[in-house]
Amino acid sequence: MENFSLTKHELIQLTEDTFIVSFNEWIEFEPTQFIMIETETSIVRKPFGLGRWNKRLAIGVQIIGPGTGYIVQQNVLNAHGPCGRGFVPPGGKGAMIATPACLPMAMDLKERHGCDVFIGSAEELSIEIPFPLVVGDEPFLNLLRSLRGYNWFLIVGSDQMEKVSYDVLKDKAEVFVSFNEYMACGIGACKGCAKETRTGLKHLCIDGPVLRGEEVWS
Amino acid sequence: MELRPPIVIASGIGGMGEYLKLIDPKCIGAYTLKTITFKPRHGNPPPRLIATQNYLINSIGLENVGVKKFIEELRGQVYDELFRKVKVIFSFAGENFEEYLLVAEKMVPYQDRFAAFECNFSCPNVQFNPLSNPTELKRMLLELRKRLNVFLIAKIGIEGGFVEDVAKLAEDCGWNGVTLINTIRALHVDGERIIAGGVSGPVLKPIALRAVYEVRKRTSLFIIASGGIMNEEDAQQFFKVGASAISIGTALYKNPKIVEKIAKMFY
Ligand SMILES: Cc1cc2nc3c(=O)[nH]c(=O)nc-3n(C[C@H](O)[C@H](O)[C@H](O)COP(=O)(O)OP(=O)(O)OC[C@H]3O[C@@H](n4cnc5c(N)ncnc54)[C@H](O)[C@@H]3O)c2cc1C
Ligand SMILES: Cc1cc2nc3c(=O)[nH]c(=O)nc-3n(C[C@H](O)[C@H](O)[C@H](O)COP(=O)(O)O)c2cc1C
Ligand code: FES
Repeated sequence: MENFSLTKHELIQLTEDTFIVSFNEWIEFEPTQFIMIETETSIVRKPFGLGRWNKRLAIGVQIIGPGTGYIVQQNVLNAHGPCGRGFVPPGGKGAMIATPACLPMAMDLKERHGCDVFIGSAEELSIEIPFPLVVGDEPFLNLLRSLRGYNWFLIVGSDQMEKVSYDVLKDKAEVFVSFNEYMACGIGACKGCAKETRTGLKHLCIDGPVLRGEEVWS
Repeated sequence: MELRPPIVIASGIGGMGEYLKLIDPKCIGAYTLKTITFKPRHGNPPPRLIATQNYLINSIGLENVGVKKFIEELRGQVYDELFRKVKVIFSFAGENFEEYLLVAEKMVPYQDRFAAFECNFSCPNVQFNPLSNPTELKRMLLELRKRLNVFLIAKIGIEGGFVEDVAKLAEDCGWNGVTLINTIRALHVDGERIIAGGVSGPVLKPIALRAVYEVRKRTSLFIIASGGIMNEEDAQQFFKVGASAISIGTALYKNPKIVEKIAKMFY
């Protein structure tokens, strides 16, 4: 766990509101770990999942408010991390189901663990990606229904996308979900990121962000 | 109590020492632990936080392991590294007056390990407000003072009575210091969601400044100022109106390095 500054190497626009930001620096991290980034728009730092793009450290950013807009515009970002538990896939064949903002995380998981990756997007992407892409809600649901022969799935995206995906996939394999909760510290101090689970209260910034879906949703 | 530098990590903000991973301990005068209650507390249901540019609202609800488990951890050397690196302040509370006394009694054998005990009388996220009953509060201040032989600090807020009256009462009951102020009850509307909790950050600063100013006029207590201290200039203003030390809270969530910057004022 460290404080550091990251300088922007490249900004790649994927859709109208989603970008990949790659950096000149590298930090060691495990899949699905995240960093807490300072913005001028909020009094607390904001969590962003770490990944890689074109062999560089990278994050994906979907602009949903002032903080995400700020991060895309800045050339230097102050942050601390890596935070959270790295995701260690169980054995067998696995797939990550993700939104475009999670492309760097997906690339990292693919490189380390050789799993399949499927990207579901509301719009076409402006770049070619090395993963199957489905555009729109119905094609995404059809994709999920068609997936067979996997031992595990990892779902990373918005709350709504994660729940919909979990409901379709839960009877097919073990399903892991990267949960979203508001965070302030990212290091287990503030107790802000509490999530009720079957086995008791978990704090996503230290026990997660990835938990088994069934721990949270029956 | 001598704090070098006179900078305290605020209770609840710094958890149980986690920020030592990100801040040089030499820049911390004392580290206040998360408030410990008599019984374990699960805390409030999520969402527990919402932040804007000027404030943070939290409804953590004093989630903590309870004093019995805390003592087990203390004896199990969980906090030994923390004690080696910094002075530590123990923060405690109860769901009624008796529970405050029970926590204090259980902690008597360990009091020497701590620089001070801070009694949290002002959490806005629990049902019980000790500050709203001055007669009972006085009884409790006296009883706690009788039981504890440690530097005793009352953490008081602005809800329940004039802060200078409560501080004077604490001084008259033999207490050594006050932390002024705690978060204040507030509410944020985020689309369809309503988040009620305690507000912290820059919006608290003028209120905390006034509290410190009034209490300094009435008492000679050790005053730890808490509320919206984000930078060196804020810190200076609190010392100007009578603070003995300043507490860094929400500012840690923006940039933990701010503690090191403010500490430079004293070297
Ligand atoms: C572990 C973790 C990893 C994340 N990784 C990424 C990532 O790689 N890329 C990415 O684009 N985003 C990621 N996010 C989400 C990202 O942190 C938020 O989108 C960002 O903080 C929003 O900031 P803002 O100022 O733009 O919007 P805000 O003004 O803060 O929020 C806009 C709206 O979104 C809601 N919202 C904001 N944050 C959250 C949250 N954490 N959970 C639920 N609702 C929320 C708010 O209630 C509000 O209605 C991650 C979140 C977590 C918890
Ligand atoms: C997430 C959070 C948790 C807190 N928990 C406690 C607590 O357990 N005990 C306590 O006395 N104060 C608690 N506080 C209040 C702070 O210690 C501090 O007094 C308050 O936030 C005002 O200072 P600030 O504006 O610098 O943050 C908490 C505040 C926050 C934001
Ligand atoms: S974000 Fe502070 S405990 Fe998880």
